[in-house]
Amino acid sequence: MELLVLFGTFTFLLLIGTPVAFCLGVASFATVLYLGLPPVVVFQRLNSGISVFALMAIPFFIYAGELMVRGDIARRLVALAGAAVGHLRGGLGQVNITASVLFGGISGSAAADASAIGGLMIPQMKARGYDADYAVNLTVTSAIIALMLPPSHNLIIYSIAGGGRISIADLFTAGIIPGIILAGSLMTAAWLVARRRGYETEKFPGGRAVLGLFLNAVPGLILVGIIFGGVRSGVFTASESSCIAVVYALLVTIAAYRTLSWSDFVAATTGAVRTSSMVLLVVGSAAAFGWLLAYLQVPASLAQSMTQISDNPIVILLILNILLLVLGSFMDMSPLIVITTPIFLPVAMAFGVDPVHFGIILILNLGIGLCTPPVGAVLFVGCAVGKVPVAQVIRSIWPFYLAAIFTLLLVTYIPALSLWLPAMFR
Amino acid sequence: MLWLSATGLVLMTAFVSMQVFGRFVLNDTPTWTSNGSVLIMAWFILLGAAVGLREGNHLSFDVLLLVLGPRAKAWLHTISDLVVLAFATGMIIYGLQLAIRTWPTTIPNIGISGGATFIALIWGGCLMVVFALERLLRRAVGLRTARFGDQDASE
Repeated sequence: MELLVLFGTFTFLLLIGTPVAFCLGVASFATVLYLGLPPVVVFQRLNSGISVFALMAIPFFIYAGELMVRGDIARRLVALAGAAVGHLRGGLGQVNITASVLFGGISGSAAADASAIGGLMIPQMKARGYDADYAVNLTVTSAIIALMLPPSHNLIIYSIAGGGRISIADLFTAGIIPGIILAGSLMTAAWLVARRRGYETEKFPGGRAVLGLFLNAVPGLILVGIIFGGVRSGVFTASESSCIAVVYALLVTIAAYRTLSWSDFVAATTGAVRTSSMVLLVVGSAAAFGWLLAYLQVPASLAQSMTQISDNPIVILLILNILLLVLGSFMDMSPLIVITTPIFLPVAMAFGVDPVHFGIILILNLGIGLCTPPVGAVLFVGCAVGKVPVAQVIRSIWPFYLAAIFTLLLVTYIPALSLWLPAMFR
Repeated sequence: MLWLSATGLVLMTAFVSMQVFGRFVLNDTPTWTSNGSVLIMAWFILLGAAVGLREGNHLSFDVLLLVLGPRAKAWLHTISDLVVLAFATGMIIYGLQLAIRTWPTTIPNIGISGGATFIALIWGGCLMVVFALERLLRRAVGLRTARFGDQDASE
């Protein structure tokens, strides 16, 4: 009955369009009242849920991403990608994916990636005779790469939602190989579609030009080294490294490139505040929700009933994948991470799945969900930037979905892809 | 309000970079930066979230709403704004209780009363009450209220 109150209230409010943070908060409040616990506990959990030092990495990484988009760092990375892979079949399509790898490696946000890379690449691709739907397909699906490569702030949310004991450094390292595999599968899909549609390639500009553009982009690329090296070696915490990323992005865009004006700075700051306070309020009210889930022993009983369905981890992982994909297609990423992690992680761990490995599976699943209707933030951004109706994009996106699902299956069933690299560093 | 919240983010950046700078360059880690920046973060989240309520850009789920007519939609929006109103009122009432209870304690290293952490909650709650009421009134007199995802539709 308590569960009915908790999930019933949540689902009802969600369906009538109440903001997710309030659905979680009010559902927890109603359940606490029903159980006869002091209601003040909900607000105490909410307040302590947003007063965590590790959480600070999220606004900082979002802020750094905003600064990089407005401060010309993204454009330089696109230029570098263009010179390096434009001569492959599918030309600008390959450039689009490679740019996502480079930019995703420094921003970590799929929506930022789709708007930054899409804003630059889609008009270029249309002008060179590529179909708009192909350009949007690529932009949208390759934005998932940004979620896998460090610094992915979604992995930080996962670490916090998982109780804060999962190493952020390990999660960052674990995402690298799956991210590269995803890029590889998408490039293959781009190549196949380009061959069927007969798209042209770009001329290779020569090694010297590539080197020049590389040097031009170096200040942006160094940031990856700072963040990853700092967190991995334990010199900085994730929050500190994210703050350094902000300061560094400011220094590069103001002092080195001289591309960031005062109004850009204001726009980046207010933009980051808008996005991150939405995400963090959800994280805060999910702390109250998650506390109740644990109090009512939901994860334990779910794990119990899953064992009755099957005792085979392969089947269980498949079920979890399908659940996550379905949920992901209906809801946004960060609320889903904070809601599903406390429920599914104990289940997965009961079947012997490593929490780091499960984090990568979860993020990849929900990342694919960002590109699928009916609710897909990244899909919507891509369609808005490309000025193409969603329905038209969906008709031709399937080769890229297949590539992403293929990667998901590889990552799910070969744990070594996620766990080998972190083990190397330990 | 957004300006205040944005200033909070810039201050937070300054605090944490001071912490790192202090540790590596001055060899003397300031003790107040970590607690101080966490306090500011709570402020900027709650203020930013209240502004987000007014602008209607909170993450929400709109699939059911897409298939409904405008009248049903307005009703559901009203219910949902009432729910937000109720929760924000709860933030004020229980935030006050918590603040009063923790007032005699002190946050380590910055010397402010422990109740201060809940002031952001109370203040955020007050703003949310105001903005939720504004949305309800605007809808009642037939003015447009912003919703999450509106921009996508207009672009």
